[in-house]
Amino acid sequence: MSAFWGKLRALFDRRRKEDDLRDEIQFHLDQESEDLELDGIAAGEARQAARRGLGNAAQVQEDARAVWTWTGLDQLLQDGRYGVRALAANKTFSVLAILSLALGIGANTAIYSFMDWLLVRSLPVANPESLVVLNWRAPGLSGRDSVMKSMSGSTWRDGDAGRMSGIFPYPAFELMRANSSAVFSSVFGYYPARRVNFMANGHAEMAAGEFVTGGYFPGLAVVPVAGRLIGPADDRAGAPPVAVLSFAYSQKRFGDAAKAPGQSIAINDVPFTVAGVTPPGFFGVDPAAAPDFYIPLHSGFLLQQKFGGGDSKVLLDPNYYWLEMMARLAPGVSLAQAQTALGPLFHRWAESTASRDVERARLPELRIREGAAGLDTLRRQYSKPLYVLLAMVALILAISCVNIANLLLARAAARRREIAVRLSIGAGRSRVVRQLLTESVLLSSLGGALGVLFAIWGIRTLTVLLANGGEDFTMNPTLNWNVMGVAAALSILTGVLFGLAPAIAATRVDVVGALKETRAGQTGRRSRRFSSGQILVTAQIGMSLVLLLAAGLFVRTLSNLQSVELGFNQDSILLFRMNARQAGHRDPEIFAFYRGLLKQFRAIPGVDQATLSHQPMLGEGTSSGPVLPPGKEPKPGKNPHILLTGPDFFAAFQIPLRLGRAFDERDRAGSPAVAIVNETYAKTYLDGGNPIGQRIKLQQRQRLFHGRDIEVAGVVGNARYGGLKGEHLDIVYLPFDQDTYHPVDEATFALRTGGDPLRHAAAVREIVRLADPRVPVTGIKTQTAQIDQMLNQEILFARLCSAFALLALLIACVGLYGTMSYSVERRTGEIGIRMALGARQGDVVWMVLRHAVGMGVAGLALGLPAAFLSSRFVKSFLFGVEPADQVTILVCAGILLAAVVLAGYIPARRASRIDPMRAVRSE
Amino acid sequence: MPPTTGSSVELLRGTLDLLILRTLLAGPTHGHAIAKHIQRTSEDLLKVETGSLYPALHRLETKSWISAAWEISDKGKRARVYRLTPRGRKQLVAEQSKWETFSHAMRLIVNPAGQEGQ
Repeated sequence: MSAFWGKLRALFDRRRKEDDLRDEIQFHLDQESEDLELDGIAAGEARQAARRGLGNAAQVQEDARAVWTWTGLDQLLQDGRYGVRALAANKTFSVLAILSLALGIGANTAIYSFMDWLLVRSLPVANPESLVVLNWRAPGLSGRDSVMKSMSGSTWRDGDAGRMSGIFPYPAFELMRANSSAVFSSVFGYYPARRVNFMANGHAEMAAGEFVTGGYFPGLAVVPVAGRLIGPADDRAGAPPVAVLSFAYSQKRFGDAAKAPGQSIAINDVPFTVAGVTPPGFFGVDPAAAPDFYIPLHSGFLLQQKFGGGDSKVLLDPNYYWLEMMARLAPGVSLAQAQTALGPLFHRWAESTASRDVERARLPELRIREGAAGLDTLRRQYSKPLYVLLAMVALILAISCVNIANLLLARAAARRREIAVRLSIGAGRSRVVRQLLTESVLLSSLGGALGVLFAIWGIRTLTVLLANGGEDFTMNPTLNWNVMGVAAALSILTGVLFGLAPAIAATRVDVVGALKETRAGQTGRRSRRFSSGQILVTAQIGMSLVLLLAAGLFVRTLSNLQSVELGFNQDSILLFRMNARQAGHRDPEIFAFYRGLLKQFRAIPGVDQATLSHQPMLGEGTSSGPVLPPGKEPKPGKNPHILLTGPDFFAAFQIPLRLGRAFDERDRAGSPAVAIVNETYAKTYLDGGNPIGQRIKLQQRQRLFHGRDIEVAGVVGNARYGGLKGEHLDIVYLPFDQDTYHPVDEATFALRTGGDPLRHAAAVREIVRLADPRVPVTGIKTQTAQIDQMLNQEILFARLCSAFALLALLIACVGLYGTMSYSVERRTGEIGIRMALGARQGDVVWMVLRHAVGMGVAGLALGLPAAFLSSRFVKSFLFGVEPADQVTILVCAGILLAAVVLAGYIPARRASRIDPMRAVRSE
Repeated sequence: MPPTTGSSVELLRGTLDLLILRTLLAGPTHGHAIAKHIQRTSEDLLKVETGSLYPALHRLETKSWISAAWEISDKGKRARVYRLTPRGRKQLVAEQSKWETFSHAMRLIVNPAGQEGQ
């Protein structure tokens, strides 16, 4: 132990120790020569003899030093000091290298912090690792031939034919709760209540909530910051209606979490009392959503909202899938044990809900999955785009590493003499390699430190870009130790990566030859250094091509999407929505309310048309139902699509009328039911003769629909409904107040205006406030902005990837330029002789340029297969363009070659201006 | 290298520590004097390499078997003087008994009992 402390002390005490040792040895030499002089040897000779007796003084010092300290650490510090000096001596190089590394490491860190947020983070509750999520997997689609007759919630593809989901019928929840006590300490369910009218202190707002079972908060082990949370006693029919608020929402509405408990509120016009507030970090179980409030599942409210007060049989329907479930494993029980215990139980239950063999053949099977991180809604949505982004920034970092390796290589050539001197006085080769590596790691560490600053900025920027004005974007990663660790590891790794090859190359010198060389005549090994530089530049060009092609594909995807024929005019339309039913308006008064508003909107100066639909044309999916001519079957698995519309809909959106008439004043509640269909619907279902006057009907399977006979009154042109991709849908437009489909609740209003639509926002708010202050107006934006939001990922990819590709191209060009300049400098004498012998300027330019183009072509040859292979991974992100699109590849290759020629031309021109006389003389 | 070269003997590995400690038992002194003392006492058979003496001294110092201080030598010069610490004294006893066992064993093998006392 004392040796340890001694060594530690020696680290800080180093200078004194060195001096001591030198004095001591000097004293020894003095003594020795004195002794020898006493023996009668001449003074000078005695001194020499004493020195000989000592041997290599430097070696003695080195040996003594090894005794004092840890040699490795000591050498590291020494190398570090030396490295700092070397970096400071070459400022331009150091600054450029550190900056490009900082960009690369910063970008990687920023993207990684999103991955960390998405993939590594746990729910902020006690013991999150014992939480599990209950899912099922079923082969094929739901619907007619499966036990999943109807659903509310999301399902996602699993493998080629499978589907997975987390939604269950309520009886399945009861089954789990009653039979899982051996493996689960608790089971709880929840169901999202999206966008409801939340009235507090006389002020209405839209808020997002969650229906939860009584076991939800106890199961998650959440502790309230104020009041109490929902418990099993609250979650039964007839219990006093209570709500729990999120910390942020309680502050927003009541100023302080402590003031919230006991407050009376109204949710969709139904009175509730605030019971308590969740802790600040708690966001429910889905990182994609942050509910503002929680209410008990059995409050009766759910029934009323979902089924218009219908009977609870619908809720208990074993073939209606809607409720999501999580559970907490009992202590000592593994996930596999729970799966083994409950899988067969659920299978038997699901089998009992099947009525036909075809249903029994495709039963959903229970899949219990880890729930520590909550639901993976966000992971499914963002992990692939993030992987693509990560691959791109990793490529950028690789390119800048190669660039620095190339620069270091050139520098190592300049340092050949220095290194040869070190090797010749006895430095081991590994010692010199280590010293050079320390320098490069130092460089990359500085880059990494600066990169963290870039990352902070990058995270903020990327958050804004990803959210793009979206109201419910919940991702907000920050730097944490995990991310910092990755950044540090990345820095060291890159330092070793770009430093190792040049260091090894630099120490592979013929010591005697290098020492003999003069500055001018280092011809002996030129070819070799040059070729490794060439290889690196070629690799850079290849990698740049990969990024360029990706950028090209994404830009084309975006432009394809932006030029999709919408079928309606998106310019100058203002969109917003409201939900009067949630504020207490009922049939048939709600029709009059909406119509009254439309009339007032139309009267705003500058507004040409005002209309509404039950959901927006784009961005929110579609509604559908079996609205068909008698005797017709829908296309397999696909019902016709339905949109409820207000008056002047086709005029406002400028959807052209092909046949018949548009809706007008005749078509209102109580008058004969009419429909207008689009061309695709007419072609698909109304074959034979004139579509006008044909009868269709919403074939009644669910009792919610009213099955009235509908007359086709007109045919309109195809317009985009739901999304921008794919074939045009078959659409049936129905008047919103004829009671032919769902009762209308939320409505999306659309105003066609002259000029900037957003300047009417204030007028709209004022009109609605005067009509009914309980109805909040939300989602005010232009149709163009809404389409941009739909294309958010494509826009982001096109922009980011173009920027990345440009950066890569720039770095590669700098690398090429550096290599070519270096080569021209080396060949000054040769070029001078050629010119003296009659080579023309053009010949010299071509000679140098040929080299650059050669590397460019080699890079292309290297990059093309790589680009082909990697572009296949982004296939799912593309639209209207194939991964191996020839035009894109040609354009990218052209851009790359042009850049190569440009980067090569400057040194080539310089070479052609060499004064032969001076060049030859300097040789 | 051959075991003997003319008039001096190559030091056995690991014995230098013992020699230094044993020399310092007589009293504190500086490095040069230690080397001279070993050389003289062994009748010039053992010659301490300066190249190994000073690293050894520093090694013993970091192990706290000896301590060092700058003092003025009898000739009025600054000299680094080493002295035995109590721990070094203990170590010397241990090293010495180790050496005696070792040399006894060597003698038994190299000069078997029958030939002893010739």
